[in-house]
Amino acid sequence: MMRLQRPLPRRRLVSLTPLIDVVFILLLFFMLASSFVEWRAIGLNVATGRSDGRSEQAPLVIGVGDDGTLRLNGAALTLGELELRLRRSLARDATRALVLRPQADVPLQRMVSVLDRLAAVGGSNISLMPGEP
Amino acid sequence: MKLKLAPPRRHDDENLIPLINIVFLLLVFFMLAGTFVQAGRFEVIAPRSLSTAAVEERQLRVLLAADGRLAVGEREMSAPQLRHLISTRLSEQPDLQVQLQADRQLRAARLIEILQIFRAAGVAKLMLLTEPDDA
Repeated sequence: MMRLQRPLPRRRLVSLTPLIDVVFILLLFFMLASSFVEWRAIGLNVATGRSDGRSEQAPLVIGVGDDGTLRLNGAALTLGELELRLRRSLARDATRALVLRPQADVPLQRMVSVLDRLAAVGGSNISLMPGEP
Repeated sequence: MKLKLAPPRRHDDENLIPLINIVFLLLVFFMLAGTFVQAGRFEVIAPRSLSTAAVEERQLRVLLAADGRLAVGEREMSAPQLRHLISTRLSEQPDLQVQLQADRQLRAARLIEILQIFRAAGVAKLMLLTEPDDA
């Protein structure tokens, strides 16, 4: 009678535990070293000549006060009124220069919020100058 | 008396395979989806904005802390040093884009001072880095 030999149970050459250790360490490394911040950018006009010649009209000066007030060419306005006026001016001349003049203590976040509004109403030629004290 | 034999011990490793699968998937996810954090001299919390313009690949990133300190990477520097560094980099690479990572609490007066340094150094393209506003 033929004797069938049972196949030997397959033996793993390497244990899986060290592999898991290494993979865990790699995972930890990548979790700590990677960031998921998506950067966005706002282009700032730093050209020397303030007017780039696209528009002959006097620039619209938007003042931002330390206390959060907004001014357009010196007259205090709310954000809604400012947007309305700018929209009207920019409808006539889309390349009209806008100058943002924040006072010394205005935080950057406030300036960025105002810049967002200016971009939203269609301002494209925006520059930054120190405000009157 | 008949002693009951303990059932043969199963290979423990068999149970670990699903775990390893998950860990591998997480590993691949973090490797592909994340970008490496760039070490900076100090922490800077960028302002939030509605801007949707994505940044170009990293060129020269200048850190500007809320108290007005300047750094490039790990190196803290004074304004004249920064100006010198930018001038040198611009002479090597004229289309260099400078990315300014400024803190959201930074005072406007200091920002404008720094912008004047960039202007004096001859920077043509300056991007202010912001975070997307999720709200």
